[in-house]
Amino acid sequence: MGKVIVVTSGKGGVGKTTSTANLGTALALLGKSVVLVDADVGLRNLDIVMGLESRVVYTSMDVIEKQCELNKALVRDRRVDGLMLLAASQKNNKDDMQPEQMKAICDKLRTTYDFTLVDSPAGIERGFRNASAGADEAIVVTTPDVSAIRDADRIIGLLQNVEIEPINLVINRFSPQLVGNGSMMDQADVLDILNIDLIGVVPEDSAVITSTNRGIPLVYEDGSPGAQAYMRIARRLTGQRIPIPDLEQKGLFSNILNWFTKKR
Amino acid sequence: MNRSLTGATVQIDLKSPTLNDEEIDYLRSQLRENYDLIVRGVELGDDSASPPIAAAPTTHTISQTTEAPTTRDGEPSRIVPCTIRSGQMEEFPQGSLIIYGDVNSGGEVRAGGDIVVLGTLRGNACAGTNGRLSAVIIAMDLAALQLQIGNCVNRSATDQKPPGYPEIARIGPEDVIVIEKFVKF
Repeated sequence: MGKVIVVTSGKGGVGKTTSTANLGTALALLGKSVVLVDADVGLRNLDIVMGLESRVVYTSMDVIEKQCELNKALVRDRRVDGLMLLAASQKNNKDDMQPEQMKAICDKLRTTYDFTLVDSPAGIERGFRNASAGADEAIVVTTPDVSAIRDADRIIGLLQNVEIEPINLVINRFSPQLVGNGSMMDQADVLDILNIDLIGVVPEDSAVITSTNRGIPLVYEDGSPGAQAYMRIARRLTGQRIPIPDLEQKGLFSNILNWFTKKR
Repeated sequence: MNRSLTGATVQIDLKSPTLNDEEIDYLRSQLRENYDLIVRGVELGDDSASPPIAAAPTTHTISQTTEAPTTRDGEPSRIVPCTIRSGQMEEFPQGSLIIYGDVNSGGEVRAGGDIVVLGTLRGNACAGTNGRLSAVIIAMDLAALQLQIGNCVNRSATDQKPPGYPEIARIGPEDVIVIEKFVKF
């Protein structure tokens, strides 16, 4: 029996869709069977980021309306084995779907696939409720800025209310330079506020933007820091224990200081 | 009716219309049976007084005492063993609130009496909603942008670094909320 994981954030633009695409691809590259579900009905994007836009024929709405079988609506990603996409309908809106219908889809997918990643829309309304309805676990994506963190905090409260557990945190667009000069919150500050388990930190990486535009998830090209971060998160999702590297840039002096304080 | 009042002693304050003895006895027994409330005394309405514009609902006249309390003697408190996250609200009009966690930005705590946060207070806190002006707000790390005690509202100066010790907020002279280092009560 597989896991259904909702990828959510509260705030828009923090990297839910990018994270879903990259984590899903990375899990498939690790040999897992994965299906990505776009729950952003009316504003779908996951198909573009995955580069599968041209091959979407049926959507989750067609499955709900019994226009086609669930298996027929899944788009196979030909670049890697065991990676599928269930696109959202672009002509409907979020109120056309009931949380129970989404749950039924997730329950079916769970029996076949190791991982079902549900890409949640921004917000806390129906779209979020639909996306989280069938989830066992959650990944909350945030950027290290106060507005994204407050929204993440709100989402965590709502996920805890419906007893989705565990809730793991991804800090996205982390900039060691900005933390270094004191203009960005560091990991410890973010974790102090949100108080959930950190599963990974993705550094700010311009390769993310180009990969999104090209429809090729970053993890296919292993070189960039962003790709490596997503690969590490995927490995942690499969149960491997991999330490989270310290991305924070420190000067020689503070490194020496750290070394001494650790010794004692 | 809030179950946290169970077992409390209450005073019935009757404004108009005045009830007869039989009706008061019925009210007393109903309160005891249904809500486990013990009626301490009944203050009868004054017939000569002008009737209120609209009759207040019964529950209102029970839970409201005639005047604001001046001490925290006998005030109940409620423990909240978790963090109050953004969008969540914890309210306890009957007494004090003790939070075993943080109150995050966007979260809200409101208490009739004191508020004690055994973590970081970043959200809104409103103490003394029952009118007791000696109500205080204590936090291990008081980082709230806005505090309220009774009707006093205070906006903390922004861009202040946390001092690293617990702080207490109370109403000081000239009805202004003052924040100082919390040593002991």
